[in-house]
Amino acid sequence: MNFTQQLVNGIVLGHAYALIAIGWTVLLGVARLVNFGHGQMYMLGAFVTWYGVSRLELPYFVAIPLAMLAGVAVGYVMQRVMLQLTLKQDLVSIMIVTLGFGYVLHGAAALFFGSTGQILETPFSTKDIYWGDLWFTYQDIAIVIAAILFFAALKYVIDRTRIGRLARMVAEDPQLAQLAGVNVRRVYLGVFAFEGAAVALAAALVAPRTPILTSMGFDEVIITFVVVVLGGIGSVTGSYVAGLALGLFTAFFGAFVSPAYATAAAFAVLIAVLVIRPGGLAVSPGGRRA
Amino acid sequence: MKTGIKTVLFAALAVIGFFVPILLGASGAVYAACVLIAIFAVMSYGLDIVVSDLGEVSLAHTVFFAVGAYTTALLSASAGIGPVLSLAGAILMVLLVAAALGFVTLQLREFVFSLVTYAVAVVAATIAQNWDFLGGSDGLRGIPAFELSWLGFTARNDQELWPIAYLLLLVAIYLVSAFRRSKLGQAAMMVHLNQRLAVTSGVDPQRVRLQVFMVSAPITASAGWLYSYQRAYISADVLETYFLILMLTAVVVMGRRLLLGPLLGVALIQVQEKFFSFGGYVDKIILGSVLILTLAFLPNGLFGVVAPLRNLFTRRTTPVGKTIPERS
Repeated sequence: MNFTQQLVNGIVLGHAYALIAIGWTVLLGVARLVNFGHGQMYMLGAFVTWYGVSRLELPYFVAIPLAMLAGVAVGYVMQRVMLQLTLKQDLVSIMIVTLGFGYVLHGAAALFFGSTGQILETPFSTKDIYWGDLWFTYQDIAIVIAAILFFAALKYVIDRTRIGRLARMVAEDPQLAQLAGVNVRRVYLGVFAFEGAAVALAAALVAPRTPILTSMGFDEVIITFVVVVLGGIGSVTGSYVAGLALGLFTAFFGAFVSPAYATAAAFAVLIAVLVIRPGGLAVSPGGRRA
Repeated sequence: MKTGIKTVLFAALAVIGFFVPILLGASGAVYAACVLIAIFAVMSYGLDIVVSDLGEVSLAHTVFFAVGAYTTALLSASAGIGPVLSLAGAILMVLLVAAALGFVTLQLREFVFSLVTYAVAVVAATIAQNWDFLGGSDGLRGIPAFELSWLGFTARNDQELWPIAYLLLLVAIYLVSAFRRSKLGQAAMMVHLNQRLAVTSGVDPQRVRLQVFMVSAPITASAGWLYSYQRAYISADVLETYFLILMLTAVVVMGRRLLLGPLLGVALIQVQEKFFSFGGYVDKIILGSVLILTLAFLPNGLFGVVAPLRNLFTRRTTPVGKTIPERS
């Protein structure tokens, strides 16, 4: 039945969205940083995985860490270049710099991987499951499981461990954290490296669902914006719920109204929320909502 | 410098500027580059007052550019309306769009503002690609030549379009400089630098932001207006990130709040891309890197590197250090 099928699609899509947004959630909620190159980092993760699997003929499980490593490298370099801006908390410049990085990544990826579309095939994505009238792939199951595990682990690390406390402390008050002996630079570099790894992992898992293009980063990032803002900026649990809700919304909108305008519709939801409760979106550092 | 001398100097510069294509050999490629530089500079001036004066990063200026271009294309190709009225139409249309966008984003600041404006740009691109009214992915063709029949003026190529492009550029520069001297311009700076002070001085920050937006959008849209005549066809690629990155780089590369900064920035980028190109992808890397490096390492732009040298040549009006008191 079409409705149940869309429900399944929506749940898978929702977990995919949440997974893609996880890096941003941490970046924003925990370190109060932004990254407009997020979409292009997603694209890079997808292409490195594709390159590993189809050109280097590596097993999928080796290609994923490879993509994550590339993500860590890009994230680290980005933060290293703009460290001074980060320490000054010059968000306006950080936004433009990350946008510039996204543009450079797009150019570099097109140069290296070519500008034609590719299909990333994994051992899971080619195996279908039929369950009554429902159809999905093992890749879909992998996405859902990975997203749930990742979110649970993240929630635990941020709330319960020393690393999480350090990151939250830096977000709350960088100067004070420095006085208390925290190596603020290292935390910022670490958070950005994490963002790179997280988005690359998401890309390696989610990208097999659709053809990949080096130009796809531009609109890919919108979904992340919507998830992060709807989830109550920086809240880990909120992002998960918002991702799931947005996935269901997009699946049903795409199936029953128009697939071409699904992104536009998701954005319309964002605008509606912003107009209805504009004051409720202030960032609370530390990822905890006031 | 005194205002009188400054005015004469600017006037002289404005006259010389017109002959730049001739000085560079007057070839077709030179005219094409000069017209594009003028158009993109005008586009960047619109963003300049939002980024440099108001201190917000609007990523929706490509939408204003596109609104100008699409309105012109629809009016001139489908309805057969001339350039003067199509400019009026483009400005009217963009004011509506800017007002709507300004109203929605009134409460938003910093990155949430940028995030929403970026999303607007992406959504506009999907709409332009899918909506048949705007030509879908094929775009709109058949935009007639720029023709002012009552003056007997027709611009069939870039050389003939140059006077119009140059005039538009001068108007844009004049508007930006007039804006900076105006009450609104000063209020924008105050909101940018010290919002509390602005509020206690009786300035309403939200009103100022909306007003700056409404001044800025028509400037960028008028660039779109001329661009559609220059290209003779318009498609969704006017909403590409390229234009956004080009504008942002042009605004910051020379140094912010320099009147000729965006023009020189655009000229630098366009000359590289038109005459010293390394292919589209490498050019992308270069443009992005210039943007990154400027912001990360040259907070005052290229001019900030050169400016201190100027002090070497200025004559001191007061002696350095303390004067030795005379003995009595």
